[in-house]
Amino acid sequence: MNSRRHLGLVAGAATVLASAPISDIFAGWTWLFEGGLIVAMVTGAALGARSLRGRLWAQLLAMLGALLIGLTWLFGNGTAILGLIPTPDTFAEFGRLFALAGEEVQKSYVPVPDLDGLLFVSALGMGSVAILVDVCAVGLRRPALAGLPMLAIYSVPVAVYVDSLSPIPFIVGAIGFLWLLVSDNVDRVRRFGRRFTGEGRGVDVWEPSPLASAGRRLAVVGVLVAVALPLAVPAMSAGFLGDFGSGDGLGQAGKGPRGNGRVDLFAELSGRLKQAGVQDMVKVTTNDPDPFYMRFGVADQISGGGFASRQPTGQPVSDNLPDPSGLDLGSVRSQAATARVEITENFAMPLLPVYAAPTAVRGLDAAWSYDPSLQILYSQRANSAEQSYEFDYVRADFTPDQLRTAPIMAASDSNQREFSRVPEVSEVRTLVDKLVEGKTNNYDRVRALYDYFSAKNDFRYDVAAPAGTSGAAIVDFLNNKRGFCEQYAAALAWMVRTAGIPARVAFGFTLGSSSDNGVRTLTNRNLHAWTEVYFSGFGWVPFDATPSTYVVGSAPTAWAPDVDAPEEVPGGARPSLSPGATDGSAGPGGPTRDPIDPDGGVAGPITLDNELPTWVWVATGGVVLLLALLITPALRRSMLRRRRGMRAAVAASGGDFADVGVSVADLTMTVVTDTDAARRQAHAAWDELIDTMIDHRLVVDPAETPRATVERLISTALPASAAVEQARLLGMAEERARYAPVPLAADRLTPAVRAVRRAIAGEADRGVRLTAMLMPPSVLLRWRNAAFNGFTTLSDRLARLSGVGKRLLRPLRPGRLLR
Amino acid sequence: MTTQRSGGELTDPMTVDEFRATTNAIVANIEQVIEGKTATVRLALAVLLAEGHLLIEDVPGVGKTKLAKALARSIDCSVRRIQFTPDLLPSDVTGVSVYNQETRDFEFKPGAVFANLVVGDEINRASPKTQSALLECMEEHQVTVDGVTYTMEIPFMVVATQNPIEMEGTYPLPEAQRDRFTARIAMGYPDAAAEYAMLDGYHSHDPLEDLTSVVDGGTVRRLIATVRSVHVAEAVKRYAVELVTATREAPELRLGASPRSTLQLLRTAKAVAALDGRDYVVPDDLQTLAVPVLAHRVIPTADAQLARRTTDAILSELVHRLPVPHDRGGRSPYDTRPATPPNSFYDRRG
Repeated sequence: MNSRRHLGLVAGAATVLASAPISDIFAGWTWLFEGGLIVAMVTGAALGARSLRGRLWAQLLAMLGALLIGLTWLFGNGTAILGLIPTPDTFAEFGRLFALAGEEVQKSYVPVPDLDGLLFVSALGMGSVAILVDVCAVGLRRPALAGLPMLAIYSVPVAVYVDSLSPIPFIVGAIGFLWLLVSDNVDRVRRFGRRFTGEGRGVDVWEPSPLASAGRRLAVVGVLVAVALPLAVPAMSAGFLGDFGSGDGLGQAGKGPRGNGRVDLFAELSGRLKQAGVQDMVKVTTNDPDPFYMRFGVADQISGGGFASRQPTGQPVSDNLPDPSGLDLGSVRSQAATARVEITENFAMPLLPVYAAPTAVRGLDAAWSYDPSLQILYSQRANSAEQSYEFDYVRADFTPDQLRTAPIMAASDSNQREFSRVPEVSEVRTLVDKLVEGKTNNYDRVRALYDYFSAKNDFRYDVAAPAGTSGAAIVDFLNNKRGFCEQYAAALAWMVRTAGIPARVAFGFTLGSSSDNGVRTLTNRNLHAWTEVYFSGFGWVPFDATPSTYVVGSAPTAWAPDVDAPEEVPGGARPSLSPGATDGSAGPGGPTRDPIDPDGGVAGPITLDNELPTWVWVATGGVVLLLALLITPALRRSMLRRRRGMRAAVAASGGDFADVGVSVADLTMTVVTDTDAARRQAHAAWDELIDTMIDHRLVVDPAETPRATVERLISTALPASAAVEQARLLGMAEERARYAPVPLAADRLTPAVRAVRRAIAGEADRGVRLTAMLMPPSVLLRWRNAAFNGFTTLSDRLARLSGVGKRLLRPLRPGRLLR
Repeated sequence: MTTQRSGGELTDPMTVDEFRATTNAIVANIEQVIEGKTATVRLALAVLLAEGHLLIEDVPGVGKTKLAKALARSIDCSVRRIQFTPDLLPSDVTGVSVYNQETRDFEFKPGAVFANLVVGDEINRASPKTQSALLECMEEHQVTVDGVTYTMEIPFMVVATQNPIEMEGTYPLPEAQRDRFTARIAMGYPDAAAEYAMLDGYHSHDPLEDLTSVVDGGTVRRLIATVRSVHVAEAVKRYAVELVTATREAPELRLGASPRSTLQLLRTAKAVAALDGRDYVVPDDLQTLAVPVLAHRVIPTADAQLARRTTDAILSELVHRLPVPHDRGGRSPYDTRPATPPNSFYDRRG
């Protein structure tokens, strides 16, 4: 088989291998069958075109034709002539499939079933990649370039999944690419003839090339760079690397009840939100036309790690629940309602969701208790999965005007004391003080803080943001302005507490999708967290600071309107929540923006507001480091120069000169008695001269004597220059320092070096001069030699070590089997 | 065995200035006859001052004999000339004991070598037997005849000429004998201007006959003493050894230079340095001398001969490869070559 044909087949196979990551997207394997068929057709067309000695463009046309025919055959839907030849209708069908694919992408959650549109797009993609790979690898003989289209396939599942993926399909893809590279290289080497060790026998394909050690070095360096570079890029810390070790509940979500009703709700929440796919969790029916969120948990304690829930305490559920919520029903409009709840097996927690504030619960056994302070149903041992119950509750409608009348609580009040405690974080304090300045009542203060989390202030929703509600995490969130409900709720609660007002974080479900018979289905997408603020006389009032556009089934309220709405809802203008305003009900595939879509969260650039984010510092540091690295050779050079000058000065001052008056070569010179110092000085001057020559790209030959070097320097670089005599002096000084019993006096050497350097620089052209100044080759050369020598020594030692290993492994080499 | 000593002791070295003046006078004197060959003349003088022997090898008619004679005439000392022919006998060279009837004893009649300067013309025409008669006196500065050893005077120098082209009826000098000549030089053709000037100079008579001596034997001995006192740095000695060792290790040479050549190389380098007005030897001196001093002692391999590589070319290439010494130990700071030669990939066999 000739090498190009072989390589073409390998390119096709590599394309199929490289599309392995698509398996993460589809539930079935139809895509592989169809895509593989298309790739095979494309590859076959390319082989045929090549065997007819078609040029590259002819091969390309053949492949495109094969792709078209293949797509027509598989997806033509009877629009084609003989099922293979496309007609205009076929293209219309393709267009329809394309549009269909767009819809399917919006509607479906991965892994998707075999949907026509998506299958069409994946087959088209694989075929296109096959064409590109073939052109790169076989046509242009640049198989490394073929990695780029293959990488495009990689990016598909990575873009779809927010969380981590199995690495196996990626490894399969990489193997395909490596296969392609290896095949090409073997061909390339074979074109030169048989590989040969030098021992008189040929080298088998399996055996490492004599150049393999160089290849291994390159590979090690490449892998190191590939690992080190993303660490240096700040955005990646929020990506998959940031997930390592944080253990924010991905692996723990929905693992059943845990102990005594205390659950890491934040972990649960972020885990469920990031979870792939949609699971129905709760079905609820209520006679309340306009309900608010269902609650099942509260975090009102602040520890070192941020907000945490505490051990609930209370009585077993009964028909008549205590109402310690502090709500004075006399002054607030309220509505009594009843709700029926059915929990699916997907919601398994020691907590049950209820609307605030329940007054009676029916249908639960005695394992369930009610904490009146937290207003939650909990159990020490029972699990919420598959429970069904009924409860009465009272929903209060507050108006801003009413809330403004809430008195500021005394510091001794237990709620005030307990729920406004917060660790002091100066950044938060500064921001809060700025926001609440001039506000006279608690409601206005809370509103000022609540309004701060708006798109105007560049807050964005991002489910991939780092989890955590500690003080540092809050500060990070306030700086980055990217987060999901957990961060919004915790940050608002933290800020409200900082303002001295009791606040806590509530967990529950947003409204969910409503079907015709009035049953609302709540899924993991409806899981949510929000802030509750305590107003004296009103109790706990919910504020949902998360941008409502990103919350499936969010419900803005009169007292906490959507801050990003086009116009502010005037306080108290609407007596009640209108059903239309809360039509955020969105089930799976609803029109609302999917919170799992990372694109929704990162839309728009992050702007710098109060403080420069860390990446600016990292980038600045990187630039500074780079500059420092760049000027290091120049610095080293000038240090060397200065040190040599110093040596000259010492020698010149320390020497006791005796004017012996030896006349040599028309240069009258003094001869020194302090010979060692004078020798050192002459050497320093000479080294400087040599380095200057290297810097200015003048050849330096170690087989040349100082005298000859200087004469060559004069003839090549210093024609008719005033520095000729100075250069000769330097050569003479070095010669005498090396070989004569008595060296020359040192005092005239430093100016001579300076003069010669100026003369050399004057004769050199600008580029050479600039290089000599900024990137002195002498320093680089020395470093390179040092590095090379070090590396050679090291690799020699390693080779000696690995020699032992090789002897041990020799019997196992595959090459032995082939010989 | 008796030893008869002749000649003077080497004492009283000159100052640098005096040395230069004297040698310049000799060179100028010789140049009245040989024009445009300063370097050759100085080299010949250097060999004399280095107490060595000179082999002048060139085509006929370029002034080999003239140079030898001019050098001899410039020095007021005894000069003998031997025209080597196939029938020349060893006793003609060294001398012979003849029976003296009056004294009734054998009397030594000194041969041609008993002179300060011996000019051996066409040395390769004599039989090897006669050539080898020169061996002892050249190296050991003594002649042994009938068990009596006669020491030669200082200075003692053999200037031999030979013709490389006309090989018919010649006995090429054996390696052993070639090794005893300190330097081999070629005269080379004069340039056009020198040749033109020569026509005028030789127009009416031979200027060689007008040549008068400028120094006497005692002065030459003082010059030699001065040369002996020239300083040789350790680095230069090392370089000389490295240079000679390199000829032994060169892949193109079948036979490298002998240890004797190291000695003579350094001695001649001292003379060259002194002629240059220095009281110390520099590697440049060794570099200039590498070809004249070493080239006639080495034998190229058959491959190199087939490739028409002359020993001169091989040696000058060698000189250009060898790093010059410095007194700082270790590698030269600007030696940009790796410390250990990079491993050839083909050396790493698995």
